[in-house]
Amino acid sequence: MSRKRLGVVVEGAFNAGLTARLDPGSCTEDLRIGDFVTIEGERNLYFSMISDIALRSTSPGLVADPPRGMSPFIADTLSGTNTYATVEVRPMLMMGKADDHTFVEDITPPETVRTIPMHFSTLCEASELDFHIVFGREDASHFAVGTPLTMETPICLDLNRLVERSNGIFGQTGTGKSFLVRLLLCGIIKSGLAVNLIFDMHDEYAFGKESEDKQWVKGLRHLFGSRILIYSLEEAAAARAGRSVDVTLKIGLNQFEPEDVLLLAEELNLRATAEPTIGLLQDQYKERWLQKLLEMSPDEIALFCESRGAHPATMGALQRNLKRIARRPYVLKEAPFSVIDDMVAALDQGKHVILHFGRQDTTLDHMLVANIVTRRVRQLYRRKVERYEQTQKPADKPKPLVITIEEAHKFLSPAISRQTIFGTIARELRKYHVTLMVVDQRPGGIDTEILSQLGTRITGKLTDERDIEGVLMGVANRTFLRNALNSLNTRQQILITGHAVPMPIVLRTRPYDEVFYKDMGSSDLTPEGVKKDLTDLFGSRPE
Amino acid sequence: MKIGEIIATETTSLVAESYTLNHPPALGSLVWASDESGRTIYAIVCHVTTGGIDPSRRPIRRSTENTSDAGVYREHPELVHTLRTEFRALLVGWSDGDRITQSLPSQPPLLHYTVHTCSEKQVRAFTEESYYLRLLLNGGEPVPPEQLIVANLRETYLCRGRDDAWLRAAAKQIARLLKDDYERLMTILYAIDPRS
Repeated sequence: MSRKRLGVVVEGAFNAGLTARLDPGSCTEDLRIGDFVTIEGERNLYFSMISDIALRSTSPGLVADPPRGMSPFIADTLSGTNTYATVEVRPMLMMGKADDHTFVEDITPPETVRTIPMHFSTLCEASELDFHIVFGREDASHFAVGTPLTMETPICLDLNRLVERSNGIFGQTGTGKSFLVRLLLCGIIKSGLAVNLIFDMHDEYAFGKESEDKQWVKGLRHLFGSRILIYSLEEAAAARAGRSVDVTLKIGLNQFEPEDVLLLAEELNLRATAEPTIGLLQDQYKERWLQKLLEMSPDEIALFCESRGAHPATMGALQRNLKRIARRPYVLKEAPFSVIDDMVAALDQGKHVILHFGRQDTTLDHMLVANIVTRRVRQLYRRKVERYEQTQKPADKPKPLVITIEEAHKFLSPAISRQTIFGTIARELRKYHVTLMVVDQRPGGIDTEILSQLGTRITGKLTDERDIEGVLMGVANRTFLRNALNSLNTRQQILITGHAVPMPIVLRTRPYDEVFYKDMGSSDLTPEGVKKDLTDLFGSRPE
Repeated sequence: MKIGEIIATETTSLVAESYTLNHPPALGSLVWASDESGRTIYAIVCHVTTGGIDPSRRPIRRSTENTSDAGVYREHPELVHTLRTEFRALLVGWSDGDRITQSLPSQPPLLHYTVHTCSEKQVRAFTEESYYLRLLLNGGEPVPPEQLIVANLRETYLCRGRDDAWLRAAAKQIARLLKDDYERLMTILYAIDPRS
């Protein structure tokens, strides 16, 4: 294995990282914060990241009085002797050194670093093989999400590990977040390791869309056809050309629980007295409380208040405010849960569901629908898991479900995260085989407790201090990752850290283009792929 | 070419008297002498003086209104016998045949042995390495070491046919040696910069 030499390790500590002096021939401009480098120790290889680059000089005189006139001869003489550069390197993983005759398959996987190399160990650029050893090669469960900034080697995410925990995808507007989410969703869908329930709040994923480069890109429906089911809140969406919707979702007033409404206290202008009043209503009418409340005439309200001890003015205000819900076009007086139950059945068959909000894209819509649907889905998953625990039959094992929510700070803000179903899912981890993919541009607005539970974080450029702090919540080596995060470009560059990658890495995301479409679709044309599609479509034939 | 005879010798340097008055080797140039066993000992000229043979008799003014400079020597042919030119050279290496070692020789050259100037070939061979510059840094009194180094680098650069690659390598070596003394380093670098 020959790697390009960059310098030698000259000092360091396990806690603080290593300092390597760059060779006179190596230029700082060839290195970037967050670059993946390898240190060749005597017995081990240390896979490391560059956390800082510094310019140094041997004497203070040079700093105070740099050479006049910039003679190339003098500059050339001083560089590498009196002026030099050092890089701070943080070892992340280590692995026993293999000789040239060892097969790649025989190399033991790298482990967490527990020691540091001695003085004068060489610092090298990571080779393609190093990337493969650490991040794995693309296969059924490893999905290439991008390439290092200076190389063309695909870097893979371990999808098994990705879907095992809740994840976060963060980045300012315009950093390519939604493309990244598409990439990941495609990866998960193609691998079949989990099923997706996607709350498509801004009409991003289901159908084709014009990218910021003015290119039309395909939606998931185009890429995966019948493997994607689209539920929409508006019938009109189905009528638009090229947008076929499978199911129109309706929500019944009977499906609302007091929490759904109370979460929206601010949005619906509810007072603190709303909660006890709703409690009284629920005591009386059970799950039909909302429907009943909205139907009440002033006399009935007075009667109810008298018999139940509620305050008439509060009741009146509550009724007025909650009427906004009933006015939403997708809300019916009564709707069966069967639509959502069918959705879960489809997920069981390995279908992926996109819930398309269409024009119903106010916060009120997002919160109402996402909460009600997710609560039901989780309820069903919980039953399934309980059943599986009873029977312990592999056939009963529910397929892991990844729920993608955008604008996550609305659902997971510190004020309400304890009440929303999303907060619960994020906290209980994968107990019920349901995890979240949290997509947000303001991670600072998300409850820190939730942030610290996230397994894998994929982050584009962030500038707000609070957001950066939020993303790095509960991550080791924060200072150094902060540097890497600050050095990201606005577009197409991401930092991945956490459960699905062995070590943090800065990447250029892979383009979402024809080549990618082909990668995603090609397997479907193999006999196995076609067979699998048929099974997906019609269910498996009993043996 | 023979240039002088050793009249004083010690572990770190030799002093020689020039065969010709007022014709010492150039400051910083490489000279050689051999010792008893035939080893070649290399030295770098670090100081030159010309004065009277008898230390108790100081030279006096000889020029008149009509005679000056070279005319003085023409008018007073005895001067070449009463004056002498001496030069001191720092020992910087030795060779016992093929291999040149750039360090102090175990024995200094012998008194009254001949000092020779080095040929271009010898200079090239000796200056392939530049460890000898370390020895120059610590000697040469009363000439400041950096001036001695400048003189040596210029002499060698010219002798090697304006070898830029060599000059760059030597400058790097100096920069490493003087990494803690930026002022002295810059004195040397400004003086040897081939563009200046």
